[in-house]
Amino acid sequence: MADSLRIKILEMIVNSGEGHIPSSFSIVDIIDYLYSDVMEYNVNDISNLSGDVFILSKGHGAAALYAVLEKIGAISSDLILQYGKPKGLLGGHPERFKNKQVIASTGSLGHGLPIASGIALGGKLRSNSSRVYCLLGDGECQEGTVWEAANIAANQQLNNLIAIVDWNGSAKQLMPCEDLEARWKSFGWNVIRGYGHSYSDLGRAFSQVLNNSTSKPSVLILETIKGKGSKLVEGHGAWHHKIPNQEELNSIMKDLTNE
Amino acid sequence: MSSLRKVFAELLLDKGKLDPDLIVLVGDISHGLLTEFRSAFPKRYFNIGICEPAMVGLAAGLRIAGFNPVIHTIAPFLIERSYEQIKLDFGYQGLGGNFVSVGGSFDYSKLGCSHHTYSDVSMMAQLPRSNVFVPGSNAEFTELFNQNYKNNEINYFRLTENSHGYEFMPQNITSGEAILVKEGNDVTIAALGPMLKVALESSKKLAEQGIDAEVLYYHTFKPFDTHAIIKSIKKTNQMATLEELSIIGGLNSLAIEACAGILLKSHLKFAVSNFVRSYGNYSDMLIEAKLSTEHVVSEIAREIKK
Repeated sequence: MADSLRIKILEMIVNSGEGHIPSSFSIVDIIDYLYSDVMEYNVNDISNLSGDVFILSKGHGAAALYAVLEKIGAISSDLILQYGKPKGLLGGHPERFKNKQVIASTGSLGHGLPIASGIALGGKLRSNSSRVYCLLGDGECQEGTVWEAANIAANQQLNNLIAIVDWNGSAKQLMPCEDLEARWKSFGWNVIRGYGHSYSDLGRAFSQVLNNSTSKPSVLILETIKGKGSKLVEGHGAWHHKIPNQEELNSIMKDLTNE
Repeated sequence: MSSLRKVFAELLLDKGKLDPDLIVLVGDISHGLLTEFRSAFPKRYFNIGICEPAMVGLAAGLRIAGFNPVIHTIAPFLIERSYEQIKLDFGYQGLGGNFVSVGGSFDYSKLGCSHHTYSDVSMMAQLPRSNVFVPGSNAEFTELFNQNYKNNEINYFRLTENSHGYEFMPQNITSGEAILVKEGNDVTIAALGPMLKVALESSKKLAEQGIDAEVLYYHTFKPFDTHAIIKSIKKTNQMATLEELSIIGGLNSLAIEACAGILLKSHLKFAVSNFVRSYGNYSDMLIEAKLSTEHVVSEIAREIKK
């Protein structure tokens, strides 16, 4: 597990007073694994469509994306220090307009998958062999445009499109869907289940995606824990958009450093 | 005379040959007219389905992938239903695309309120880097599309099914410039798109009553030609605006804002102030919305100060 990335996320969020800690902790292992072991790209030009690209549709987990981009050397530490600051380029949601490392600005849920589908369709039309990855929240899957895009992607046979659902149980708080797998399958997607906090399981799941020989788009439904890494912020409560005070910060750090 | 929709289909065929990046997405309309485009460029024509917001998001993704999208369907679904996608996926991302609608205002006069829209034009004008066109004739649409479709900005072309019937020479059609169609001294009638027809009919009838109206025509809503209206109003000091749009945020709002500080002897605004709920022909809609020539003439004749 990427505890050093979680510490980085925490530093950024505490430093700026802005961010979604549990959501970022939920997805950081997935994004780390994607950029480290799955995607092929030029680190100096990560939005170039000749390589694989990634869209964080649940944009409020932006700190996790930035921490990984810094780790792989796509953005500088200076940029990270400016996160959420008045003249900084990185904010609480990924923004393409200010950062060439971000391929699509997100924030309002339900926008990433339609855009990712368009990029994937464009890639097919240009006979490009790269893939488009798009990470959504399970709560986000309540948005209508997710399913409009799911329909379109299946109909256009976008097997170069891979959706990843961060199934951390947020949806369950509002409108439970126990069988998300059946839902995606019924839309004509190749569905793979996995656990989003184990690199070996992520390896198994992604290798199944890369071996998809059908014309269907793929979705990885990955079970995760919101706030994974620190018992204090874990779960679906007040910590969704809360900034820790010093005492709370010490407690989270203790969890992350296993002291 | 060809309809604007037919001209649109012919123009896309021409542009498709010239621009290998032009790609067309439709929301299950005009597919008959676009058959030739689809046959010529099967990989650049998609009848996406009944899912307008995702179609707009998809188009943004295609723009990121280097294509120049033309997104086409019925105005309320393309603009009002999909507005957040246009605002964020194109506006916020800084991407360009061409939105082409039919059925604006009450063109689908027999289909009722679900197919009407009076706010699409002002909504599109809200977006940074947007250009908004309401062409009232084939030549205008052709020229305005030619001048703008590759500018990598957000272009909205609203195709009327009720052309005003006035033929402008292509060289007189410039994006962002109003056209002085008839000179006059007593009152300025500023008209948008198809409403030029009512404006010209009204000016003729007003002439019979000794009222010399100037007719100023707008095919471009944004960028708005403020100089043209200021120049005309400084001469006549009386203004009447004619539009099929909502009274809030339409041509009248732009014109009166442009003329702020100029004392007007009279000011009449002909616009849509409520849902137009009845069925019938376009002319019936004009009567219900108080946009008919008869109503305009009687109001101007009554209110104008000699």
